[in-house]
Amino acid sequence: MVEFETALLAIAAAFVLFAVVALYRVYAGPTNHDRVIAVNVAGTNTVIAITLVAAAYQESTFLDVALVYALLNFLLSIAFSKFNVERGGVL
Amino acid sequence: MSDTDAHRILVPVGDSDTLRDTVSYAVERASAAAPNRPVEFHFVVAAETQSVDPDAPEELGSAREQLERVALWVEEDADSADGATDAADGPPDRFTVVTDVVGTDRYLFSPGDYADALLEYAAETGIDRIVVDPEYNPAGTASMLRSMSVELARGDVPVETAPDDRPAQGAVLARAASLSKYLSVFVVSYLFYMSLSAWKPLDFLTGFVTASIVSVVLAPVVANRSAPLGLTLRRLARLAVYAPYLVKEIAVANLQVAYVVLHPDMPIDPEVVQFRAAVWGDGAVTTLANSITLTPGTLTVNVSERSFDIHSLTADSREDLFDGGLERAVRFVFYGRASARIPTPRERDDAGEGRDG
Amino acid sequence: MTPAEWGIVALALAGAFFGGVAAVGLVRLPDVYTRSHAASKSDTLGAILTVAAAALALQSGLSTAKSVFLLLFMFITNPTAAHAVARAAQDQGIEPWTADEGDD
Repeated sequence: MVEFETALLAIAAAFVLFAVVALYRVYAGPTNHDRVIAVNVAGTNTVIAITLVAAAYQESTFLDVALVYALLNFLLSIAFSKFNVERGGVL
Repeated sequence: MSDTDAHRILVPVGDSDTLRDTVSYAVERASAAAPNRPVEFHFVVAAETQSVDPDAPEELGSAREQLERVALWVEEDADSADGATDAADGPPDRFTVVTDVVGTDRYLFSPGDYADALLEYAAETGIDRIVVDPEYNPAGTASMLRSMSVELARGDVPVETAPDDRPAQGAVLARAASLSKYLSVFVVSYLFYMSLSAWKPLDFLTGFVTASIVSVVLAPVVANRSAPLGLTLRRLARLAVYAPYLVKEIAVANLQVAYVVLHPDMPIDPEVVQFRAAVWGDGAVTTLANSITLTPGTLTVNVSERSFDIHSLTADSREDLFDGGLERAVRFVFYGRASARIPTPRERDDAGEGRDG
Repeated sequence: MTPAEWGIVALALAGAFFGGVAAVGLVRLPDVYTRSHAASKSDTLGAILTVAAAALALQSGLSTAKSVFLLLFMFITNPTAAHAVARAAQDQGIEPWTADEGDD
């Protein structure tokens, strides 16, 4: 039978795979907005993968990393949009 | 200027810490500028965005209350100013107080809009002088825009700003926060910090330092206008009712997107549509916009005031949007059960086809 | 594995399904707006399901609290980020793709 930890790690691996798939969109574009959305998705998937690894190893410090990563991920989109809108503010 | 009748002073009234001082100043100025003439005080509330909501008359109610309070203050000050000289005359008759609410018939957005409404009133009633509260800021978020007194100076009535007697504040960009706001930001961030920490002695110290920095830096920019506590609690309770509905909608949304995305032919028919939502205020609009983004095939692209640009993935999702289920739910959260029953956007004729239709 | 653990794995698998939908949608959908749909909806639900599974799997109360924070945070920020990017795209005049326009 499958170990619980192994199952969680396998799902984490799946999310890493999805992040790699999303990277195709970063490569292909065509606009910068597509790229930012794709990086955002890849970042969200990374956060999820970190959380799953934290759950598999019962390692709560990983969650701090995930939280900060999620924050930076959000800031990326906001900063990008902010500096792409002419009127000078999205939010 | 006008020697025939009363000296008229306009004081725009809004929710601010310095309103009391402004009223005193206006009374003082009136006594000095027109010692022997009757004085009319015009206290005017410019209706804020929420007040235009026909379903939230309590907002106007609070404006009326504020005006009554101001009228009492004038009496108090008149007593202390005049009563000192002509002893027991009672409140001097030469002070009349006129109160009014302007701007209920339109949507006031920028300080310029407020100034227009007030100047119009001033022109109609022949105002001789405008006294502005230093903290008067009806547009709420406008600390970066031109100040109210600058906007009002466009008219041909002399405008002066009442002096600010409070201790000088450093922050220019954001409005100074009240002590209670600093405290609440501090407490919330401390609690948040502690909830993520390991409860070692050092954590209490670092948490204290961090929360202090956060409250000093961020208190002036959080929640510029906060709702009363009771209303906030009621909204939170209704939000708890709303959450399961939203979760259901999100689940449906995702199955739909999953179907569309995984279908070999990708049956999508995207289109940008616009509609005017019947919600007011930052909180309600944000909630609605985010809910729309999370639910079936719709994505909020742009919001300006009440007009939403929605990108929809399929024709079905547009129909759902115009049926107004989410809008009703958000109105329920923010304005209560009674306001939830309104016509759908389609019936109101607020639903517009997109430019690319 | 215990039944509880099976439940957690099932929850995480459901999350992974939606994560996969987001990734596939990102690649297949035709323009930036439709891709935002995939990024905001599917990815958010995938994140919520999976992080909820992790919260259940974590045994210390502190870790569970942290993952609940993470969950709430992603619930709010993901749609906001998608909206911000979509608005920036609209502001720059990127025209939405329509069904009758391209069959490529």
